[in-house]
Amino acid sequence: MMRDKRWSRDHIAEITKYALSFAAVMLIGAVLIGIQGENPVTAIAAIFQGSLGSGKAIGNSIRWSIPCVLSGISAAVAFKSGVNNLGIEGQMYCGALCAAMVGYMIHLPAGIHVAVSILAGAVAGLLYALIPALMRMFLKINEMVVTLMMNYIAVLATEYITIRLISLSAVANPLSVETPVIDESAALPVLLAGTKANAGIFIAVLTVVVIAWVYKYTIKGYELKQVGENPHFSKIGGINVKKTFASIFLISGFIGGMCGAVEVTGAYKKFTASFAGTLGWDGIMIARIAKNKPFAVLVVSFLWGILKAGSLQMERVTNINRLTVTLIQAIFVLFITVDYEKVFELFSSRKKKRVAVEGGKAHV
Amino acid sequence: MFKILFGTITFSAMLRMSAPLILSAVGGSFNNRAGTLNIAHEAIMLIGAFFAVYGSYLTSNPWIGLLVAIGVCLIVSVIYGVFVFHIGSNPMVVSIALNTGAGGFTALVLYSLFRIRGSLVDSRIKSFSVIDIPFIKNIPWLGKIVSGQIALVYIAFLFAAIAWIVMYRTTFGLHIRAVGMNPKAAQTAGISILKYKWIANIICGIADGAAGAFLPLCGISMFTEDMSSGRGFLAVAAILIGQGNPIKVMLSCLLFGYAEALTVSLQNINIPSQIVLMLPYVATVFVLLVSGIRNLKTQKDVL
Repeated sequence: MMRDKRWSRDHIAEITKYALSFAAVMLIGAVLIGIQGENPVTAIAAIFQGSLGSGKAIGNSIRWSIPCVLSGISAAVAFKSGVNNLGIEGQMYCGALCAAMVGYMIHLPAGIHVAVSILAGAVAGLLYALIPALMRMFLKINEMVVTLMMNYIAVLATEYITIRLISLSAVANPLSVETPVIDESAALPVLLAGTKANAGIFIAVLTVVVIAWVYKYTIKGYELKQVGENPHFSKIGGINVKKTFASIFLISGFIGGMCGAVEVTGAYKKFTASFAGTLGWDGIMIARIAKNKPFAVLVVSFLWGILKAGSLQMERVTNINRLTVTLIQAIFVLFITVDYEKVFELFSSRKKKRVAVEGGKAHV
Repeated sequence: MFKILFGTITFSAMLRMSAPLILSAVGGSFNNRAGTLNIAHEAIMLIGAFFAVYGSYLTSNPWIGLLVAIGVCLIVSVIYGVFVFHIGSNPMVVSIALNTGAGGFTALVLYSLFRIRGSLVDSRIKSFSVIDIPFIKNIPWLGKIVSGQIALVYIAFLFAAIAWIVMYRTTFGLHIRAVGMNPKAAQTAGISILKYKWIANIICGIADGAAGAFLPLCGISMFTEDMSSGRGFLAVAAILIGQGNPIKVMLSCLLFGYAEALTVSLQNINIPSQIVLMLPYVATVFVLLVSGIRNLKTQKDVL
């Protein structure tokens, strides 16, 4: 019964909002593509061809979806509980480097090796998240800023460690700083031959399912949600808010580290300095669009992966810069953040004011 | 070693490299004190950099470039303000969206205007010319550092000084600080929160525009994609270290500029650039940590 009621109002409003945002963004996207002197239809066709058109294309979409799902769920876990973890990127770098180190330094039998290296990466991410978590827990320092700064520290530190590992003296281009290739036994199996679609997708989906299950069926999950929705209430209700905050941070860091580790063991087979680009930020945007709901994260991430794979193809066949797609994604996020009730209020209050100013004239 | 650490070249580079940071961070201080979160300096600066180049390209006059940059950045920060103040968007998410979108936006405009990718080099783009200050020029050590910079460097320091005076010696500054510190009390005292937040936001936009214009027009006369390369986040770090006090913010920017100036020379004697580049961020975390511990102590004293 309650469910039905909610469907009738909130959900329809939500769906309308998303549909309208999507339509608006498509329109803007078409204009942006038009400005670059290309036909929007050709561009969109290229995106579809590059993401869903062939087996290889689907493989590419899956490959790009994996890190999106993991960083998205990492962000969703944090933001759902009101923890502003902007440091997913940093946690990812730590995880990636650790996984690569375990991957090529230690030699273990197949199967165990992958697991150990991904776990090592995840723990590295967790430990990196521990610093801002402790600062937040004991000193009440705003975690948003700390994690933001720690991203840069992580990028530079991993680059430095890599240089030390391979004993290079001076390097100009960070993209040429990379560890040796990991052992065969430490690599995640490839799903579709000829592509980089790998078993990481199962890890990613499993993570989402576990998180969703925890939220839905466990007391801990209920507490985690409550802390985000109403910290005061949860404090009175007997939840240790501080501890919960810290544990959310660690879970988020753990998944973030895992994301980096899966990237290394699945797609790249080695750690390259500054490899991630905007992946950490993508995660936050995905979580935002998905309203921090685990399964919605999955859906949005697949969309993100499709767009990523498709935009690479679009750049190959047309003259359109693939960054156009990034811009369109960012605009979509902007639309989603808007609280349309406030917009409505804004306009209706203006109208009222005008009515007041114009006095009797308004009453026809 | 001594020559590298205290040489005129290093200090001169320090002033040059800290100037865009100072412009952006001091402008951002107003937002910080007015209680508006803004971590989109990176995006606004990048957009400013592009339009500065475009303005300079069209007119071969860097000052017009600066004006164009300021104008466009003003528009961007007005958009930011509308989203954050009026239609209930989360400032953090808006910032993130802007930061991710700005790279695509500038690349797209670059392509649609010039049909090129990567970087824009053209002889019509003119940078600011260096200014020799008559008397200071002849002072032995100082002359080489302070004189011979472009006008925007001096403007940056002047801006920091003026911003300090405005913030701490005028009613306007008091109101801005009041709005950030205790919005309810400010409102009770009859201060319009929205008005001051908007003014702070606009100051921030203008300053970011100038900072953005600095990057391409400080002598290299070209635009490259992702030109701001983390400077916007350094500005955020400086604002936090200085806690929104323009002079303190300026000092931390100088420190960052010094670190940046050192990276090049230290690399030659085999000190890795990564460690030096990391310093500003480590310093920020450290300062936050120290101030957190200090706050903890005072809180206990109160209790």
